[in-house]
Parts: sequence; structure tokens; C-alpha cells
Amino acid sequence: MSSSIIFPELVVGREDEYSDGSWRVLEGFARRGEASCDFRRRELRVPLGSTPLDRIVRAHELVHVRISPHDASPSEIYPELPARVLQCAEEFRVNEMLRRLGFDVSILRDGSEKFGASQLAMNSDWEEAVYFFLAVLGTGGEKEFLSGLRPLQPDWVKALRTLKGKVNALVGDFTTSRLGATSRGEFELPLGYVNVSVDVARLAMIASSARVPNDQAGHRLFRRSLEIGARRPATGHFAELHFDSTLEYHVIARRRLHRVRRGAPTGTSLRYPSRLLTDPQRRAFARHQYVAGGIVIVDQSGSMAIDEEVLDQMLYDVPGVLVVGYSHRPGDRTGVANAWVLADRGRRTRTAPSGNVGNGVDGPILRWAIHQRRGSERVLWVTDGQVTDSNDHPDDALTMECAHLVRRGSIELVATVNEASKNLSNRHASRRSDLSKFGRVGRELLRNRHVTGSR
Amino acid sequence: MEVIASDSEVVLGQCWRDLAEITASGIDRVILYGPPGTGKTYAALRFGITTDVVERLICTEDVTSAEVTGSWCPAGADAWEWLEGPAIRAWRGDGIRGGRLVVDEVDRASGDVLSLLLAMTDTDDSARWKNPQSREVVRPAPGYSVVMTTNLEELEELPPALRDRFPVAIRIDQPHPSAVRSLSPDLRRAALNGSLGEPSRRISLRTFYAFDRLRRSTNAQRAASLLFDSAEATAFLDALSIGALG
Repeated sequence: MSSSIIFPELVVGREDEYSDGSWRVLEGFARRGEASCDFRRRELRVPLGSTPLDRIVRAHELVHVRISPHDASPSEIYPELPARVLQCAEEFRVNEMLRRLGFDVSILRDGSEKFGASQLAMNSDWEEAVYFFLAVLGTGGEKEFLSGLRPLQPDWVKALRTLKGKVNALVGDFTTSRLGATSRGEFELPLGYVNVSVDVARLAMIASSARVPNDQAGHRLFRRSLEIGARRPATGHFAELHFDSTLEYHVIARRRLHRVRRGAPTGTSLRYPSRLLTDPQRRAFARHQYVAGGIVIVDQSGSMAIDEEVLDQMLYDVPGVLVVGYSHRPGDRTGVANAWVLADRGRRTRTAPSGNVGNGVDGPILRWAIHQRRGSERVLWVTDGQVTDSNDHPDDALTMECAHLVRRGSIELVATVNEASKNLSNRHASRRSDLSKFGRVGRELLRNRHVTGSR
Repeated sequence: MEVIASDSEVVLGQCWRDLAEITASGIDRVILYGPPGTGKTYAALRFGITTDVVERLICTEDVTSAEVTGSWCPAGADAWEWLEGPAIRAWRGDGIRGGRLVVDEVDRASGDVLSLLLAMTDTDDSARWKNPQSREVVRPAPGYSVVMTTNLEELEELPPALRDRFPVAIRIDQPHPSAVRSLSPDLRRAALNGSLGEPSRRISLRTFYAFDRLRRSTNAQRAASLLFDSAEATAFLDALSIGALG
């Protein structure tokens, strides 16, 4: 079959200085991933057959030639949006453009949609399911895709239909010429791409990060979260931990240990005479002993803050302490630092970073702290007892997870850094906390009394 | 890029900008080559000329040297007259300034003609020709220029000595924007690009003009079906529709 059944050179009209020139046409297939448009090499890989599907696939690639970004990498411009979602959103825009130009997109499917969907459902890969759905939305593959999801994940189908409604409403506001506009917009990208594909990708990102709703109320919240400017939906999982590696430290103490008094059966200073009666080992004398610092985890979310003077005092009293602050920016997936070591056993940051509003990484930071523990070092968690997911929604399962970590790691809950400082510098300060002051985590711990550490 | 006509919304292709720079700099031996239907001859006849004397020589295997420099013709009873050919007329120009010699399809010229063209395209200082009738020695007048055109894609196929006389060769891969002015506005940019593709995908300017005329009297589908085979007609209309976004 001749390549004269496609004329990419005749697809003109771009307004973003895309130079005219010859395209190389290579034979591809009417299957997902086997037709492509490479602007850099000016290569089109398309099926060269004569079936209606072959024609639609060729037209799809020609629409890419006409409207897609050619000289910029959107995933570098929008790091908060994964390349995959941007790619699928652009597929949607191209298919929508094809539909408006009168091409029969109902035949645009390759037969893999149903099987692909059932695989995603089996692997519970909601995120990819959302992205894939965008790529087939409006085409003949959409129905197949949903039918592949339905047996295993019926809730997904309903949620995806909600997303479809929002996406169609968004794109419905654009005329065909605005949908395919190639004049330069934000970051020199084609205006149609910026106004449609990027916004559709953002919607899909929000949907993909949400926990799939499984009841009426959940669906209502999900739908609401897709409104413009709405609060992001609950995700049901923590964000990844990203430590700030840019901080500078200075040495505040050469010593790594601090001195504490400890009871002893012999000595020169009779400090605890009552123990002669109460302690079977009669440790009534005081003896000085050097001990390690401990670990303090500081929740720096909106409701919590760190007082640098108090931190200084703690470091003066307990120079060997390891202090780590954390707070996640709700919804962030670009790797903005959400944890920072404020003091590391004798070294201190020059400035303490402020929080990012949300918690988001309570579980990961507790695990990290438990992993850092040396010997029987104490671990204190400065918290208000609220545990939130990566979009800063309180979550029962995540609260239980943190309560479990507190119990398993014998982590002590304290309300303020000052309290943590006093607890660490005074061995005899009570390790018991009033758990009722610690919100959801406290209540969860109270519900399961068999705790260690915090009682 | 230089916008040459706001109504046509087309820009001057790089090849035409190159040609404009070269003619402006005074280079007077140029080869224009590339796909057919892009206006090479049109450009050779019009761009960078210094006088009204523009002589065109269309080469075929049957063209003889007589059609280059001239031949004896009967001039009444028992009289013969030497009629100068286009090359000599271009040398002479208007008597003050030399004219332009356009050698079309040079790759199709016979060996004799190619040999003669070596002399006719030589540098102005070296070129000489003696009129067999008047014995006058003719030399190219100042300003004489030669443009050769060919549809060859590789100029190595031209004789090296001839090629050497032309320091500049420009591949014309797009029609000149002025050549599409008579087309309907929606076809102009596509028509300029029609010659850019691989040879099997090229659509000449003449085809665009025919399509434009036919669709006025019928409709686009019918016009395309008259000009192309079925698959090509569909692909042609798809490309135009996608380009126009409607």
C-alpha cells in the first residue's frame, strides 16, 4: 500500500512557528501504541491499510500534527502532572477534535480495551484506570473499557462516569477553533493544549488520587471535589516522604550525650531517702550518668508550629537529640520537601523550615523515626493527634496505622516541643500522657488499652 | 519569518529567501532544482533580471546547437542570413546591459548542447562567440545572467564542468507565495506545502488549481474524486479538513 494515502504536509494552519517540511511516513498498525507522531524527527507511524479504522487512526495522527505541542515538553513544564496523564488528556483532546471534524470515532478501538481494563481492575490500579479512561473517552473503546472494569470494580465505573461528565462539561465550553488553537499560550505551549488538555489532566489527577467512592455520600464528595476550586478528595493514603536536602547545619555541641541523675544503691549524695523504704534495691543515692538524646518528631502542620527558642532550649538541655519536623503540602506530587531534620545529634539547622499546611506523612515519618532509634532511645511525637492523608483529609485507617506504630514503637505522645524538651531532659518526668488530648490517635490508643510506651 | 501577503497568510519559504539573497548579491549563475510544479522557471524568468531581455531555452534531446547560438536561415533569393539564438540574444541584452538566459530542463539536453552551454555559461571574461556572418566577436554584456532549472534531485548527474560554472544551486521545494495568490485562500498554504512530501505524496500547484476550479463548479468530494484515486481523494480531503479545523 502506498504512503500516498496520507498527506501530513497538507495539514497547515499552525500559528506557533512550526516550520513546513517533509514528513517521513512509516508503516504502523491500528493498535494502541503502534501509531505515533514524532515532531522532532518529523515521522508519522500510521497504518497504511484501507479499512475505516486505518483511516481514523491516520486522521488521529494528523490531528496531532495540527494541534499538539511540538517544541516543548509539557511534563517538564507541569511537573505536578505525571507525563502519562498529560499524554492521555491530549489523546482525549485529539479524539474530541476528530469527532467535531466529522470523523466517526465510534470505530476508534483496537479490541484491547476490555482486557486492559480487567487487568487494571484486577491489580486495583485506579490511577492508570483513570488515565486510560481519558485516552478512550468518547471513542468506541470507552464502552469496552468500562465493561472490562465492571465485574471487578463496579464502583470505578460510576466514578469514571462522574469524571466523564466533568470533562465533557469542561470541553463543551470550547469552540472547535479554541479547542485546537495553536497560538502560543502559557509557557509557549499551544493555547488549546493549555486550556483544555492541561485542565483535563488536572481533573484526572484529582480523580486518580482520590479514594474510589463506594457509597452515595462518597460519590457526592467525589463529584464535588471535581468542581473548579473545590477541595481535593480524600486519597486514603499517605504521601511519599521527601526530606529537605538543602538545609545547612552548624555544630552546637561537641558532646553527643547529656548528663542525667540516676538512682544508685551507693554514693555520696543521698537524694532519694524514701527509696530506702520503697525500692527493693534501695537506690537512694544520686549518681550522674550520660545518656543519649532521643528522637523528637514534630508535626509542623497548620495547627502546629515550632518555637525556635524552645528548640534551642531543648538542644541546650539534650544536645544529642534528633529532631525531625514534617508537614506535607496537600495534593503535592512534585516532591516538595515534607520532612526536614531540624537537629541531628549535635548539629542544628540555621533556620527551621515552616510547615506546608497539611500532615500527609504521619505514618512514614513515624516509621522513619523508629528506624533511626539507637538502642532504647526514647521517641517522642509532638502532635495534636490528627492524622491526614496526602490531600490532608482525616482518615480512620491511617489513624489506626499511626496508633499501631505508636504502640509498636513505644512512641510517647506530647503536645508541645517544650513538653518534649522537659521529658527528655528530666528522666523522671512522667511518660504517661493524657491520651484524650491527642485527638483521633489518642482515642484510638484509648480504645486499645494494651499500649506500650504511651498509656 | 517574513510575511509576504497578509491576505494569503503565507510566509516566504527558505528557498525563496535564499534566492532573493543570492540575486541581490550579484551572483549571476544559479541552478534551481527540485520537484516539479514549484515555480522554478517562473522564478528564473522574473527574479533578479536587469533588462527586459529574458531568453528561454527548453532543453530536450532533440534540441540542437542551432537553437542555442543560432542558425542560417533563407533571407530572400540566394541569400542567407544568420539568426542569432537565445543564448547570443541574452548576451547582447538591450545593447547596454546583458539579458537573462533561462535554460530549462538542462538535464535533458543532448551532448552537443551541453558542450555549447559550457561556452555560453562561462564567465563573462572568458566567454566569446564569433558571428559566422558578420565575423563580429560577441561577448556577454555586463549584467548577463544564467539560470538553469532541472527536476533532478541530485546535481551530480550534471556534467561536472557545467556544474562548476554555477557556484550556487538552490533546491526549490515550495512554490513561491506569489504563485498561489490566485487560489482560494483556504488552499494557499496547503498548496505551498504540496511539493514538500516524498515524491509519491507530492501534489503539484497545477493540481491545486484544478481542484479549486472543479470544486467551485461541483463540490470538494467530486473535485477530489476527479483528480485522485479513491484512497488519495479521501486522504487529500482529510488533510485539508484537519488543517482547516473544519
